[in-house]
Amino acid sequence: MSHQRTEHFMAVRILLVDDHPIVRQGLRTLLQGRGDWQVVGEASDGIEAVEKVESLQPDVVVLDVTMPRMNGLEACRLIHQKQKNKNKDSGLEVLFVTQHDSPQMMREALDAGARGYVVKSNAARDLLEAVESVSQHKVFTALARSPQASS
Amino acid sequence: MKLRILLADDHEIVRRGLCALLQKREGWEVCGEASDGREAVEMAKKLKPDVVIVDIGMPSLNGLDATRQLMQHDPQFKVIVLTITDSDQVIREALDAGARGFVLKSDAARDLVSAVEALQSKRMFFTPRVNDLVLAGFLDKGHVVTRNEAPNLPTLTVREREITQLLAEGKSSKEVASMLNLSTKTVETHRSNIMRKLSLHSIRDLVVYAIKNNIIQIQMPAQLHSAPETTVA
Repeated sequence: MSHQRTEHFMAVRILLVDDHPIVRQGLRTLLQGRGDWQVVGEASDGIEAVEKVESLQPDVVVLDVTMPRMNGLEACRLIHQKQKNKNKDSGLEVLFVTQHDSPQMMREALDAGARGYVVKSNAARDLLEAVESVSQHKVFTALARSPQASS
Repeated sequence: MKLRILLADDHEIVRRGLCALLQKREGWEVCGEASDGREAVEMAKKLKPDVVIVDIGMPSLNGLDATRQLMQHDPQFKVIVLTITDSDQVIREALDAGARGFVLKSDAARDLVSAVEALQSKRMFFTPRVNDLVLAGFLDKGHVVTRNEAPNLPTLTVREREITQLLAEGKSSKEVASMLNLSTKTVETHRSNIMRKLSLHSIRDLVVYAIKNNIIQIQMPAQLHSAPETTVA
């Protein structure tokens, strides 16, 4: 089953991954502002994220960096490796939403295969635009210190 | 009549999550949201909420000092402190500041509603870790040792702590004066008193003191690759 989208207004299926339930709730509340998007699942660490990507096949994974058991960077690499091993392009994209307001961490996230990077302190400002961009396979990065996002 | 709650956290995403959690309860409303401790104090004085929920790690004025200011203004305020850590020191600081509830952020989805209910019923709410510490304090010493009672620790006034945080965040005396509606000379006097009381000799020393005493919090990326996340934001 493929969820590739050719029109930006088509449904985006999202998996939320963060070890703090209250943050997941906040992200979910924000994303509910878009009626055409659907949060298909939640995970609280990297291992669970990898499993849920397999079972739920979301379009976008909103992923925290630092989590117990497996961090987001490792999870991102593993998710992409598994997609590669299947020798098919599912169109899945990873968007990091993290506390790390750091160019180095952002570089590492993009190297791990992420398409987007948003700092948690600005998530309310940047999240919807970031999901919109990465779901269309466009890069979106925004550190808190930068007044405007680049996409 | 609705139970009115004021939320203070510097991350909107967390406030959204907390709002969603609290407003599921019939009869509860979030009457205001603040993004730092100073705003929380101002809003609490104005809105007079039944319960104030404050994050500890906020810019400009941290949650513990915001709690101190609120309790100084009106001891009837009911404050729940949200924290990323339940270390002994933070627990003591929170109790000392006058908080009646203490909830770990990681457990907020599970514990916060219970904490608000407890305060609503004129009870206190603490995590099991706090209960253990309080009990140990009573068993060992007959009472809980708070920061102010601990020997040889210099005590800063509420105003001095407030200024310590702002200076440690990198603000100049002039900027601090402007934020607190004081003269630059008054801030300089406070600054000298702080340095003398704490036996500090430079702003660098002040920053180290502020970090060690949870007045400001810093992020340490190098630790975060392998360790479980220690902060929500």
